[in-house]
Amino acid sequence: MSKVKSFAGGTHPPGNKEHSSGAAVVRLPAPEVVTVPLCQHLGAPSKPVVKPGDQVLKGSVIGEQNGFISLPTHSPVNGKVLRVENVPMPHMRSGPAVVIKTESEDGGEVYEPIADWEHADTSVLVNRIKEAGVCGMGGASFPTYVKLSPPKGVTIDTLIINGVECEPYLTADHRLMLERTQDLITGMSILARVLGVTDPVIGIEVNKPDAIKLLQEKGVKVVPLKVQYPQGAEKQLISAVTGRVVPAGGLPLNVGVVVQNVGTCVAVAEAVCSGLPSIRRITTVSGLGVNKPGNFDVCVGTPVSVLIEAAGGYQGEIKRLVSGGPMMGMAMFTDTAPVTKGTSGILALSPGEVRDVEEGPCIRCGKCVDVCPLNLVPCTIATASEFGKWEDAEKAGALNCMACGTCSYVCPAGRYLVQHIKRAQNEIRALAREREA
Amino acid sequence: MTGNRMFDLAVSPHIGSSQNTKRIMWDVVIALIPALVAAFWFFGPRALMLVAASVGAAVLTEWLCLKFMKRPVNFAFDGSAVVTGLLLAYNVPSGVPWWIPVLGSAFAIAVAKQAFGGLGHNIVNPALLGRAFLVASFPVLMTAGWIAPMEWRDGQRIDVQSCGVSTAQLSESEELDALSGATPLNVLKQTFSWEGEPGRGEEVRAMLFSKQSLKNLFMGRAGGCIGETSAIMLLLGAIYLILRGVLELRLPLSYLGSVALFGWLFGGSGWFNGNPLFHLLAGGVILGGFFMITDMVTTPVTKKGRIIFGIGAGLLTMVIRRWGGYPEGCSYSILLMNLGTPLIDRYTRPRAFGEVKKNG
Repeated sequence: MSKVKSFAGGTHPPGNKEHSSGAAVVRLPAPEVVTVPLCQHLGAPSKPVVKPGDQVLKGSVIGEQNGFISLPTHSPVNGKVLRVENVPMPHMRSGPAVVIKTESEDGGEVYEPIADWEHADTSVLVNRIKEAGVCGMGGASFPTYVKLSPPKGVTIDTLIINGVECEPYLTADHRLMLERTQDLITGMSILARVLGVTDPVIGIEVNKPDAIKLLQEKGVKVVPLKVQYPQGAEKQLISAVTGRVVPAGGLPLNVGVVVQNVGTCVAVAEAVCSGLPSIRRITTVSGLGVNKPGNFDVCVGTPVSVLIEAAGGYQGEIKRLVSGGPMMGMAMFTDTAPVTKGTSGILALSPGEVRDVEEGPCIRCGKCVDVCPLNLVPCTIATASEFGKWEDAEKAGALNCMACGTCSYVCPAGRYLVQHIKRAQNEIRALAREREA
Repeated sequence: MTGNRMFDLAVSPHIGSSQNTKRIMWDVVIALIPALVAAFWFFGPRALMLVAASVGAAVLTEWLCLKFMKRPVNFAFDGSAVVTGLLLAYNVPSGVPWWIPVLGSAFAIAVAKQAFGGLGHNIVNPALLGRAFLVASFPVLMTAGWIAPMEWRDGQRIDVQSCGVSTAQLSESEELDALSGATPLNVLKQTFSWEGEPGRGEEVRAMLFSKQSLKNLFMGRAGGCIGETSAIMLLLGAIYLILRGVLELRLPLSYLGSVALFGWLFGGSGWFNGNPLFHLLAGGVILGGFFMITDMVTTPVTKKGRIIFGIGAGLLTMVIRRWGGYPEGCSYSILLMNLGTPLIDRYTRPRAFGEVKKNG
């Protein structure tokens, strides 16, 4: 194995992946009612094109793209539209969604498969990825086609596939690499072709040796990475793999790199080779608060409660229900919220797993400074934020923060560093908007 | 049951490391215990009494201050007051009356810590400011209270020479006889004033820098403050802190390295003839370097800042030892550098990942 690479900074939360890493993906049938959010991707929500009472086919468009940074939304089932309404969402208070009564999952609409993608025009491929509604499946849900449309004059020479899965507990990407290997490789090749990159690589943390070995055997260029949080953060991954530093406030394409998640590759392969729109995803259900942690292939719009049932139901007291990983995931107040394209995991955490401490005074130990992967001084920014000194917070680099949570994780005083810094970011941006207005 | 349950909301991350402020403080207390054993061994039960008085006074003062300011009094038991009490006692000679450490601790907690806002807000190391207060207020007691260390040998307690020089060497030198109650650094300071008499200072310094003397210093057979005497016991505590992930090594290493370098450079009578090992082992450098300069609250948070702090404190320590009014400069050097911490932090803020240097 080649030398294990990494980035500077970071920490080592317990992986807790053994709960579900051995569990093969179980495909769940669509529930009786699906609640399909129209804002599963980053950017403008899709515009609903159906109304209550309409019959929809699986794979048909129920919300159309609404702007550049936006995507269409498809129905995951054949059925009847019950309502178009705002529902609780995992990643925000509420959002518009189409509620559909499931009638069947057979047949449905697909796009014309592009079997000869190796020779097809790249614009055709990009368009397919767009119309199929593919967005980043790692969690941020950025529309994939936008990343594949670099502005004129920008040359992309490196494509990194993100198979790091550095968040504790999550094993969906791990299982996907083991079980959907061929689709992953195909998707990777399609993306490489679109970007004109000849030599794509996949970055995987060394805690997934089986995935590394399997992909290497299939001739994929794997970059083994040290187990270190946040290894899978885009800029950190780029730094580890290529040594390039994405400018602050810049994008990976500024250094000629595009990063795509492994799940996105599979979605791309399905969209291009089979004409399937993005209506399903693999997600991990874990935490000591469920009886049988596992990985599930579900259609979007499936309520979290259905996933919990599939994982054997709740067990004991649930301290927190999280969408995503424990470091950056969002706490949910209800399990009626639906799974979206970006739901990498659902965690039911028991009291012993959640850090529940009273915030104490900063003892200036500097641990947050030692671990910050972006070289910030989190304690100073957080203190400025607590005192409402937004300008000081901005000068200290508050806007660079990606909220990876490493500082809060290590803080012995239990300070809500990320919360304070996020607040500062909001205030700084609000002030900037005010100045412009 | 699923479907109707409500769950708590909270900002990520939802998990956290097991380290907390209380654990860090109690770890430091544990790490200071070997030195307490050494203090008992060399200075007798009196040392324990002084330490107990100091710790008791620190915790009580903290409790009273918090009560008075209507703040949660459980802060008094987070271990930080115990650390301050221990460190203050470790910084007084074992011959002082009991009320000296009591007064020092009370001052340290009330004035240096609580008056500035309590844990995390003090500007200088409370224990060291408490000591500075004692030295300024009771200079005679604080500089003459040295007791020669003792040791159990063949079932009997016997005196060992406090300046760290062996008995055999001592009988050959009249000067040292007069200084038998002094610390090695006192003796060294004395030799600097014998410039007019060729050979005299060199002779005594050679004894101080001898292998035998260094060995005594390492083990603790030398006069000094209660907690600073035994380098090996302090190092045991430091190793514990490193293993527990509490001690970040930039400060200790840069400080000790700086003391060694400047000790060699001008720690003798002229230039380039000091003994770095002597300067590391004598006085409070080991105690200061692992337990006082590492006080998180009063030292820089940036990595580069910690190194600058350590080097600066080492330089000041050696300047005071060589040219200052006191034989030992460890505590004042750290206090002075504490004052510079905000400035150091400001000018050593790391460049953010991907941040481009601005022109002009």
